[in-house]
Amino acid sequence: MSKLKDNPSIADALKKQGVSRRDFIKFCTMIAATLSLPSSFVPQIVEALEKKLKPYVVWLEFQDCAGDSESMLRATKPTIAEIVLDVISLEYHETIMAGAGKYAEKALADVVKNQKGKYIAIVEGAIPLKDGGVYCTIGGRTALDIAKEVCGNAAMTLAVGSCSSWGGIASANPNPTGAVGVGKAVPGITYVNLPGCPMNVENVTATIVHYLTFGKLPALDNEHRPLFAHGKRIHDNCERRPHFDAGQFVRKWGDEGHRRGWCLYEMGCKGPEAHFNCPSIRWNAGTSWPIQAGHPCIACASTDNWDKFGPIYSRLQNVPGAGYQATADKIGLGIAAAAAAGVAAHAIGSAVKGKPEKKDEK
Amino acid sequence: MAKIAIDPITRIEGHLRIEAQVDGGKVTDAWSSGTMWRGIELMMKNRDPREVWTLLSRV
Repeated sequence: MSKLKDNPSIADALKKQGVSRRDFIKFCTMIAATLSLPSSFVPQIVEALEKKLKPYVVWLEFQDCAGDSESMLRATKPTIAEIVLDVISLEYHETIMAGAGKYAEKALADVVKNQKGKYIAIVEGAIPLKDGGVYCTIGGRTALDIAKEVCGNAAMTLAVGSCSSWGGIASANPNPTGAVGVGKAVPGITYVNLPGCPMNVENVTATIVHYLTFGKLPALDNEHRPLFAHGKRIHDNCERRPHFDAGQFVRKWGDEGHRRGWCLYEMGCKGPEAHFNCPSIRWNAGTSWPIQAGHPCIACASTDNWDKFGPIYSRLQNVPGAGYQATADKIGLGIAAAAAAGVAAHAIGSAVKGKPEKKDEK
Repeated sequence: MAKIAIDPITRIEGHLRIEAQVDGGKVTDAWSSGTMWRGIELMMKNRDPREVWTLLSRV
């Protein structure tokens, strides 16, 4: 493959695609913002992307629905349709590549052989371990076998979407195929989980750019997710949070509160236990996100969300602070009778309302 | 007489394998296999019917 020899620099590739300097700088600024970096890092990102050669990327699909591929292909923000596909050199992707059968498998084998230890493996979909891994095979090989070889020889692996991060849909109770995420299936690899159902392409791009700029993975949390994307609770950044604090809840679909955009906690929202940057980067080029659209968060990026958080439309238990502001106000007016209980409630309510972001960042 | 296999079939969603029996340049028989299974129907058992769509829409 001659393509493997003359891979251009990212900036050159973008120029060739007609991406202007201005759009390129805008892209770098947006990436810095997504990574929660101050704007002083923008020149460093610009420099890295100007000099670095496009990294080779292979995209593996196992027990997936191609939703993460869709999420990537639908990327639109500052001409991202070109940018995302041009920051990387995508050598293998079953859903969009031209070759099939042995020609497809050769493209993958070439990258693994010629770019050993240098390419990025992106994995979409879970890996079934039960019954020798027979529940997902490609070219006659099991997903596990392929993942061991391809991820084992990669510079790093990005598990995109919840399925490849921790099993996702495939691992929902009773997990019929013994599906797990790539980190568990292939122990010892260097990897980042970028869960979400689907993953958000801006976080994936930011992770790749972080790697190209700083030569290492971004800081990760205990679920191997980047802190820049999963360091904050949805609840603490939610645009409907004031309604939670004020005790204004949607209690029935289509009721007055629902029409007015009140808090979805009573309808089963998992925002108080979910960590994701949806409220700030949103979806579909920043157009909206589930809660803005009027549906409760289902904690799609949290491990075992389909089973661990209880039924989707049932209220989370033990979330402090719900509606305590009303109680606190009444106490302030001297209306509450149970003073001792009221003071305790007020204290909890104030603690939760106080500075939730700072508390969470520690 | 030759039997050929094309796996993976690309540019489709999902995993597909096609095997074909080729005799004198003509396909005389063919077999298709979906090579991935998750058992999503089994996950629907005992689940709150209201949330079934959230999983099934992600097939």
